[in-house]
Amino acid sequence: MLHTLQATAPEVLLVLLASAMYLAGTFAKGPCRCWFWSSIAALGLAAVVLATWTMNSAPAASATAVVDSLAVWGKVLALATGLALVLMSDAMSLDNRAPEYFASLLLVVAGSMFVAGANELVLLFLGLELISVPSYVLLYVTRRDVAGQESAAKYFFLSIFASALFLYGLSFLYGAAGNTNLQAIAQLESKLPYPVPPSLLVALVLVVAGLGFKIAAFPLHFYAPDVYQGTTHTLAALLAWAPKAAGFLALVRLVTFAMPYLADKVSWLMLVLAAATMTVGNVLGLLQTNLRRLLAYSSIAHAGYMLVGIGVGALGGSRYITTSGAESVVFYLVAYAAMTLGVFAVLVALASPQRPVETIDDLAGLARSHPRLALAMALFLFSLTGIPITAGFWAKVAIFSSALVSGQDHYITLAIVGMLNAAVSSYYYLRIIAVMYMHEPYGAVEPAGSRPALCVVAACTAVTLAIGFAPGPMLDWCVGLGLGR
Amino acid sequence: MDFVLLVAVLLPVAGAAVVMLASHGDAHAARRTALAATLATLAATVIVAVGFDATETASQMVTDWPWLGSAGIHFAIGLDGIALWLVVLTSLLSVTAVLVSWRAVEERPRAYYALLLLLETGMLGVFTALDIILFYVFFEFTLIPLFFLIGVWGGPDRRLAARKFFIYTLSGSVLTLLGLLYIVAAYHEQTAALGKPTLTFSIPELTANLHLSSAKQWWVFLALTAGFAIKVPLWPFHTWLPLAHVEAPTAGSVILAGVLLKIGTYGFLRFNLALLPAASHEFLAPIAVLAVIGIVYGALTALAQSDIKRLVAYSSVSHLGYCMLGLFALGSVDTATVGITGSLLQMVNHGLSTGALFALVGMLYERYHTREIRSLGGLARKMPVLAFFFVVFTLSSIGLPGLNGFVGEFLVLLAMFEVRKAYSIIGAVGIILGAFYMLWLVQRMLFGPLKEPHDGDDAVRDLDGREIAALAPIAAVCLWIGLCPNIFLSRMEPAVRQVAERLEPAATRVAIAHDSH
Repeated sequence: MLHTLQATAPEVLLVLLASAMYLAGTFAKGPCRCWFWSSIAALGLAAVVLATWTMNSAPAASATAVVDSLAVWGKVLALATGLALVLMSDAMSLDNRAPEYFASLLLVVAGSMFVAGANELVLLFLGLELISVPSYVLLYVTRRDVAGQESAAKYFFLSIFASALFLYGLSFLYGAAGNTNLQAIAQLESKLPYPVPPSLLVALVLVVAGLGFKIAAFPLHFYAPDVYQGTTHTLAALLAWAPKAAGFLALVRLVTFAMPYLADKVSWLMLVLAAATMTVGNVLGLLQTNLRRLLAYSSIAHAGYMLVGIGVGALGGSRYITTSGAESVVFYLVAYAAMTLGVFAVLVALASPQRPVETIDDLAGLARSHPRLALAMALFLFSLTGIPITAGFWAKVAIFSSALVSGQDHYITLAIVGMLNAAVSSYYYLRIIAVMYMHEPYGAVEPAGSRPALCVVAACTAVTLAIGFAPGPMLDWCVGLGLGR
Repeated sequence: MDFVLLVAVLLPVAGAAVVMLASHGDAHAARRTALAATLATLAATVIVAVGFDATETASQMVTDWPWLGSAGIHFAIGLDGIALWLVVLTSLLSVTAVLVSWRAVEERPRAYYALLLLLETGMLGVFTALDIILFYVFFEFTLIPLFFLIGVWGGPDRRLAARKFFIYTLSGSVLTLLGLLYIVAAYHEQTAALGKPTLTFSIPELTANLHLSSAKQWWVFLALTAGFAIKVPLWPFHTWLPLAHVEAPTAGSVILAGVLLKIGTYGFLRFNLALLPAASHEFLAPIAVLAVIGIVYGALTALAQSDIKRLVAYSSVSHLGYCMLGLFALGSVDTATVGITGSLLQMVNHGLSTGALFALVGMLYERYHTREIRSLGGLARKMPVLAFFFVVFTLSSIGLPGLNGFVGEFLVLLAMFEVRKAYSIIGAVGIILGAFYMLWLVQRMLFGPLKEPHDGDDAVRDLDGREIAALAPIAAVCLWIGLCPNIFLSRMEPAVRQVAERLEPAATRVAIAHDSH
């Protein structure tokens, strides 16, 4: 019990602090920046606990919550991106809803951290729900117009549906293993008859469907454009990042490692899902004019690229070019965090009630009015396209070279499909760059707003460029995670 | 000495940084800094060329730093006979590009010159890279500066042109990346089978030791070709080119035609021919057919153009056909050596003459704001210096003996004649067509009664000192290559012969027989 508490101390602390904020919020009067600062302090406190206490614990590999390198990485990333999201929220006009807003944000971070260390089905589900449930609140409190209501309702119902599918899948796994521990489920291999009982296949499909919603994979991707469009830039960033990162961590833990006996099924399932997801995302992305809608399709497409890594990881292919499949997913997630949060932070910094930034044309002439923000935006978009010398380039190299060396012809074909998709995506990313650099500004030019959001832009720029110029340390470190099978 | 090449590659980036940081929106300071940077780079590459050891086949002046530790990717640059003259060409045309932009670019000069300099580093990097990934990084990186140069400083249809250029080129090169990664993986597999798994991205090492089965070569060849054929451009993948050329600012056209198209042919030589000899033989006929179609199609289309810039753009499609034809003249070792050296020289020649022609078209446009052939005539009387240079580069372009174009085309057709006569003969027909459309252009535009868009346009003057400074060195080099081609050919030959030996039919047959066991 104490071991589990030590392993999950930072997220437990965050949950406690968030609850305190909910309570204190009922006594607060009027707007106050204290909520912004106290959530930063809470994240800092969690980081300190993580570094001083949790990192020193060494729970057994079969414990409820583990503190392996993947878990620590996931928690650090959740805290860092959580901080970025808090900073991006500063500009929001929340009035008296600030305590609920920031507390819910902290819960999302806590949920992501639970998922990162979860070694047990119930804890995993709990973590995922701790991301979803506060998201409903967040969607509701930030925008109360019709579009915002629609987006909150849509997300709520579909998310509940996906959670039910996921939970149903877990029940099959439990039925087969008689245990909720991932280690025990992985060791089923020796006890299973051949061929694998169909109940496990049902479990696989349901689990992947449930997680497919979180990562916005085909065919459960279709909520994303509507929901992103109907909410604010900051929350679109949150939805494009937190559930997706947690979903991929869960896929790595659950599908890549806990179901070795289904490896060939997983690889086929991922092959189809990856090809469909990236193609749907990119092709529909071509048609968009609303920025958040476009970025929603972009985030769908990137989920498709990362699914390639999950499939290769399940195959357990060799890792000699750079990274194994699962390790390249981890690498991709870091690059994805930097470029996606960066893009949204630019939008947050630009938008103001007088001059909302909703469509691509709203960015016209940005290179003249805000040259530095335009440059940062162009960098993120080139990184999303996968042009050297950005983080996105190495992320694509890592993913697709792992597919090339998997030794499976159909994964080589998938790599070709993926690369062609990257070329297709360049069309809509370039459209934004072209509008920023090659059109005249419209309307009055205002200085960029929110300073905290500008800090996020700067940090994301630094990460994108640092990984772009010197990916070595990052790659070595991903290999050091030891996620090869 | 070795560091001079590194300095040459990095000088333009340093120049770009100085332009951005130091010139504070002062257009003149930006121009002068850019000129100084390109001149310094030119000086460095000339030092490199003088110090180049003509007898050596391996890369010289190598700088090799590990870049991605465990993955074995290096920042490795060096120079062999294949890349030598392309590097010098790049630095020479970059000076021209700065000079022709002097007065044409008033808008956002700092960003303009910084991008031009970044582009120069990108191109030098492509030709000097000794690491596959580094090559690809530079290869893709060249897209970004040119995208902005066309899209921001280009003509009325610049946005479409910039995006079409970028997306078209990118769609091919993503497949090239897969092909390149596959080569590395295959070499690892090959060495692992011998008990000594080696992960290397080094181009010289892979070139020396890689042995792929011919079936795999076939697929990798296709993947690599996807990117390079679009870049060249090989007919029918040329449709992005005329649009990009017409809309690009003058300097963009000079660089695009002069250097960037050669990245495609260089890629064919460095990777397709050197690494995939068996597949190269299999693809001889298809590639040669496309090249020949490109030669004739480009020439006929050029003939029909009413816009000078568009005419020169289509002539590039035709001329690059000769470069491809020369590369794939795969006969005996000697024949292949002749063909490839001829093709390499033709790349340099085309860069010089077409680059200069684009510069001249830009100078005309600055004076008359039109590129319509119909509205110009008899300019030789009004602008004798401009006419002189136009005629010189036209003659160089159509291959007049004594000028550079002749040597390259002659070697290419000679080599191809030994391998497949028909292609060579059709290629020769293309030369006649080329002479026809270029000389016809000269006749209509420079001779006959004076015709200007606005009658009695007295403000129009002949070339000034700056413009002559941009063109005269190119003309001198054209003459130099034409009169003493051996200085240039002898430095290429050892490196080219090494590739040709790997391409020898007997050698590839052994490789194929080896597979079938």
